Amino acid sequence: MSTKENRVTEIISRCSALFEDLEFGAVKKWKAAAPGRKAIGYMPVYVPHEIVHAAGMLPVGIFGGGDQLEVIQGDAYYQSYICRIPRSTVELGLTGRLDCLDGMLFPSTCDVIRNLSGMWQIMFKNKYVRYVDVPQDYDDAVGGQFYIHEMQQIREDLGKLAGRPVTDEALRASIVVYNAHRKAIRDLYAYRAAKPWQAPTAEVYLLLRAGCVLPPEEHTRLVHDYLAACETQQRPKRDNARVVVTGPFCEQPPLGLIKSIEMSGCYIVDDEFMLAFRWLMDEVEETGDPMQALSKAFLHRSAQSSSKYDARKEDKGRFLLHQVKSRGAEGVVFAAPSFCDPALLERPMLQEILARHKIPYTAFKYAENTGQMAPIREQAGTFADSIKLWSAA
Amino acid sequence: MSEITIGIDIGSGAVKTVLFRGEQWLAKRVERIRRRDPLELARQGFDEVLEEAKLKEKDVSYTATTGEGENVKFATGHFYSMTTHARGGVYLNPEARAVVDIGALNGRAIYIDERGKVLSYKMTSQCASGSGQFLENIARYLGVAVEEIGTLSKTSKNPEKVSSICAVLAETDVINMVSRAIATPDILKGIHISMASRLVKLLKVTGITKGTVLLTGGLALDAGLLAALQEELVNEKISGLTAVSHPDSIHAGAIGAALWGAFRHRKLAELQSRAAA
Repeated sequence: MSTKENRVTEIISRCSALFEDLEFGAVKKWKAAAPGRKAIGYMPVYVPHEIVHAAGMLPVGIFGGGDQLEVIQGDAYYQSYICRIPRSTVELGLTGRLDCLDGMLFPSTCDVIRNLSGMWQIMFKNKYVRYVDVPQDYDDAVGGQFYIHEMQQIREDLGKLAGRPVTDEALRASIVVYNAHRKAIRDLYAYRAAKPWQAPTAEVYLLLRAGCVLPPEEHTRLVHDYLAACETQQRPKRDNARVVVTGPFCEQPPLGLIKSIEMSGCYIVDDEFMLAFRWLMDEVEETGDPMQALSKAFLHRSAQSSSKYDARKEDKGRFLLHQVKSRGAEGVVFAAPSFCDPALLERPMLQEILARHKIPYTAFKYAENTGQMAPIREQAGTFADSIKLWSAA
Repeated sequence: MSEITIGIDIGSGAVKTVLFRGEQWLAKRVERIRRRDPLELARQGFDEVLEEAKLKEKDVSYTATTGEGENVKFATGHFYSMTTHARGGVYLNPEARAVVDIGALNGRAIYIDERGKVLSYKMTSQCASGSGQFLENIARYLGVAVEEIGTLSKTSKNPEKVSSICAVLAETDVINMVSRAIATPDILKGIHISMASRLVKLLKVTGITKGTVLLTGGLALDAGLLAALQEELVNEKISGLTAVSHPDSIHAGAIGAALWGAFRHRKLAELQSRAAA
């Protein structure tokens, strides 16, 4: 039986096991618990989970193979100047690890992910595969209609796959479930920003990753449990620099990289890890037309990332500045995957905005299997020192 | 009354601990690691400097770690070793405008200003041929005590050239030299020249052209290395730089940590009072 003191360890150990399980045992277990259950994979950054959930299916986040997967077949599909996440995802698929999925959703993250949806259709002919396009016009009558049409297509497809239509009632119920989930994640982020020594990002990240394979109701409970458990033990507070980590919205860094940033004297007080769970920034309307509600939330109250189109030039960097100011951050760490066109092309624009606001920053690149952490520690460590010793504040 | 701060520098070969009251240095400890737990040695050093200064743990305003000290649980904060060697270097020698920190595993040249702010730096790569551990391995092979290395090297009349690229190649060179009956001082001097040549290259990359270069870290008191560094600066026609050492050079990192800890303590108090107002 667990004591209050080791409850955090217990929760994080469970999350760690789920994170390391590239055979997706939790998904298989969920499917086996009731006949006819189906699971739908989704890639970063965001897909409307509510539709999958309302169809009675488990949305499963596929965020690459991490640093433990040896990519052999996946490399044959891509040129050397392409990032690693599509390679490791192909490897996961070709080695049968994703056989537990009944379909895959590929959001409009970048050309590579879009093209992967086509490759997936060719490679896995018996699976449901859908490219999820998003609007680049944020007018309800234009982009909104387009997005509703896109979501409607997924809704009908999943209804057919489930053998029953996805009703408005089921969608509204799923919106309620995901509103609770989003609230729990917002609380988690607020807690970490207030007491980063109590909820280290290496733990928060594992907790988020558990949400890739657990049903949202269970994950919401787990987040609440973690927050409650954190308050039962006091951890030492360090004199660290408060930073926002931006860039890892798609291919995820290895856990060692997150730990290295923290070890080198930084408290991560906001980030772009697992943005899928925080993409819609507040509650989605729970009554009325659920498709309209999801569309409005996307158009008007969703996060900004390099993979999302900014309709107005003056909006560029608004989300990052908000993260810095609202979390009391003292600097920004740009951590982008190597060859990530969206992140690396946007980086100079964001850096210019930060410079204009006199917010210090540093930048480096990684791959999901980066193993050499000494340069990261060196760079993050000197950055933290420069903030602590030489900043004007 | 000035604040009490403790600096702990966990290196690859030794744990160094110092205690300061403001800018006044009250106590110091060096403990070779020798396969022991560095975190335990850090605690031991912490307790011992407190005891020497006749102070209690509650008197300490800030405990700062550096080097590999990120995991010291009782620390208030951690500073990167380049930052602390820069500050410690200026404390030990206010004229210093560059610090060459050479420890057990690697070496780095740091160009600094009069406040100890790092202006630029360059480190050795992964190869250990420019490090103290390498020198210690060679000394063991030659049957020479570490303390004798510098003195013997300075008696060399005809130094032998040693690879400055790779520790493995350098060790092979040394084995060949021994079999060719090359005198021990000439071998040691050859190694010192090889190391000094790498360090001068690092210094050049930082962009410094004139001023005092202070040697810090575990090898700072190796008189043979210092002499070789001075000779290499002459050979490379860098007349504006003067290489020196200091009897407490090994403590530079810990000193810098303690002094930056004091600075942070004051800054945090100021921020807190500003927020309260």
